Amino acid sequence: MSSGRLLPVSDLRINDPRINDPRETIVVTGIGVVSPYGVGLDCLQAGMLAGKCCLSPTKDVYPGFDGTTAAVCGLPLPANGDSSRYSRSDQMAMLAARDAVENFDRDSAAFRESGVFMASTVAGLSEIEPAIAEDPAAWYRRGSGLARAASYPPAHVADAVGEHLGVRGPRCAVSAACASSAMAIALAANMLLDGAAPMMLAGGSDALCPFTLSGFSSLQALDPEPCRPFDVNRKGLNLGEGAAVLVLETLDAAKARSAEVLAVVRGWAMTNDAFHSTAPQAQGNGLADCMRLCMEMAEVSGDEVGYVNAHGTGTPLNDVAESNAYETAFRGRGRPVPVSSTKSYFGHCLGAAGALEAAITITAVRCGALLPTLRLTDPIESPNVEWLRGEVRREALPLAMSVSAGFGGSNTALIFGSGGFGDGGLRNGRS
Amino acid sequence: MTSNLAAITGIGSVSPYGPIAGLIPTCTLEPEPITAWPTAGLRRAFLVKPFRPADVVPGLKTRRLDRLSAWALVASSLAIQDAGIDMSRVDRSRVAVVFGTGFGCAELTDAFFQSAAANGWSGTDPSPFPEGLANAPASHVALWHALRGPNITMGSKGFAGESALIQAASLLRHGQADLAIVLAGDTLTRAVYEWYEAAGLLSPACYDAEPLPESGGFVPSEGVVALVLEPASRREARSYAHFSSGRCAAGGDAVEIIGAMLGGAVPSLTVCAGNGAPCAASTTAAVAREISGHDAAIVHAQGVAAGLADAGAFLHLILALSSQPRSGQALLLGTSGDGGFAALLLELP
Repeated sequence: MSSGRLLPVSDLRINDPRINDPRETIVVTGIGVVSPYGVGLDCLQAGMLAGKCCLSPTKDVYPGFDGTTAAVCGLPLPANGDSSRYSRSDQMAMLAARDAVENFDRDSAAFRESGVFMASTVAGLSEIEPAIAEDPAAWYRRGSGLARAASYPPAHVADAVGEHLGVRGPRCAVSAACASSAMAIALAANMLLDGAAPMMLAGGSDALCPFTLSGFSSLQALDPEPCRPFDVNRKGLNLGEGAAVLVLETLDAAKARSAEVLAVVRGWAMTNDAFHSTAPQAQGNGLADCMRLCMEMAEVSGDEVGYVNAHGTGTPLNDVAESNAYETAFRGRGRPVPVSSTKSYFGHCLGAAGALEAAITITAVRCGALLPTLRLTDPIESPNVEWLRGEVRREALPLAMSVSAGFGGSNTALIFGSGGFGDGGLRNGRS
Repeated sequence: MTSNLAAITGIGSVSPYGPIAGLIPTCTLEPEPITAWPTAGLRRAFLVKPFRPADVVPGLKTRRLDRLSAWALVASSLAIQDAGIDMSRVDRSRVAVVFGTGFGCAELTDAFFQSAAANGWSGTDPSPFPEGLANAPASHVALWHALRGPNITMGSKGFAGESALIQAASLLRHGQADLAIVLAGDTLTRAVYEWYEAAGLLSPACYDAEPLPESGGFVPSEGVVALVLEPASRREARSYAHFSSGRCAAGGDAVEIIGAMLGGAVPSLTVCAGNGAPCAASTTAAVAREISGHDAAIVHAQGVAAGLADAGAFLHLILALSSQPRSGQALLLGTSGDGGFAALLLELP
């Protein structure tokens, strides 16, 4: 469903001498996605390349709520799922994970020992009702309250994925607000380098629910209309939902099982603003440091980064801080760095956003397609940034960066490169 | 993992023993009656006695924070103080914060639900929403100490503390931080306590002012433990323990896997059995006994740390270090009750 039917890869081949140790090189060999476009990377890719926006009135899905959101409709339940045990976030994660490993040999020892590193901020909150606050014991006694409450911790998402796939390696959960799933990918990459598992499934999942709709509304962070990231007239964010799971392994391991390499994770970095609980530092210093560290790890200059998939929420504070961060991180670059926010297509998926945007960034690299920000008519002035808008731009894209940030000041940056390692048979072989 | 990767050089805790820097004076505690919410008869737990954080850490403002965030701020400050680190001489962009929690900021999450119950979803109180996020304690620690390195909140079931320690060591190993503040903890709320009760997990001692029985459920607890983790090679001052290696898995034969990590018989092993998910207390103890044989000293549940969901092993470690001078090796062990575990091998100088 996912990796096998990606659109044609650009002809670019990287034989970069900086990728010199296959044991220390982390690659992506599977991508699974659940998004408002449907299940699978194909749906997401086709929809986005066609410029389709999934945002619609919230009241269509959640009566009583104003505003604009993007929901996953007609979510097919996982085959062996038990709806009382699994939250909506769990179920989307299970579907995305299954999608990511659809073509894998799930009986292999490497697969069985795989680790799971999932992120979520909502997790099972979607299953809990306000009545729990008045009399928890009574709420637990009602229907499946006890089981539904058990899905509350973020760890439940990782457990759901692990159990669903029958893998028994390390099982970890991370919660860092909207930077969560990008962080899960970074930490999973660290674990592979530590030899903690032969393969890691890393990503995030977050469901739309009244808790978050109400929370962001109370903070006055929502744009009632479809959001306009990086536009001077932006008014806030739209919430979305979804899940994405990347299969990570070392290049050595991928080669050993003749796996298709979809992308190389060239760099990853995490920082914190240490500035404010909810507001980003206005100059974007923490985010700029994060991007700089990521480029240092990847051993690339700002000139080599062909595209940045921005955090780009559309809130007044985030977008200014983020554009300032680009000014700092890409200062001295020969030409403005192309940047877009794909949250303009299906909203902000919170803890799943980083992984979904990592999948989109990999698609951009593989297809040589730079996606524009939708509805961006009057961009923030930022000399070192080329705000992508209008049509999809087609060009060879050796390296691209995905940037995430979240409440609490967390920042994460990931750099992905083309998976082309010559014609060494990595593209078509599958284990 | 590399041998002697990192050293634990500072300890701070907020627990039923109170806010303490360093080791905890050995003494026995009894569960206390719960008064924070209405109960049908006597209900007991190991509780953190109320205290003013600013009395422990001058200048600390915690009025709008979840108790978990407030305790994380106090515990981290005490751990840094205990480590003797002059933060003005530290490159704070190279300091990571890694927090492990089972339930996160349950108190403010509950408060947000309460405002929804009272006013409807359109009339919720905005203040508990961001402060109720699971990563709020870690971000407040970063904010208070101006730490700009990686800021991570782990939520692995039953062994989030051990997972946090493993991730922190990994950051040091990969040069992504020079120093890490590693924390683990949970608060006890009505919703959490009554969930344990509805699930039939509580000890008879929760309902009766009798001595703790040997088995049959657990007594919930609360608190936050903070450890300062530094690369062993860079630290010449005293350390409580060196971190050697760690493994975590969701299945497989825990005894076999951990045995392989230990590399054979380790006669002086002290097992600090974090109970993690409370129903796993006996599982953890059983795994610990099988690993260690009869010669090992097992520091495990049935005490104040039994129900401290995700800081249990940390607190057990401190109790083990506090109880008598030890040397050799300690195994920090947490299990999830369904085959999952995290195990870390510590060398005690």
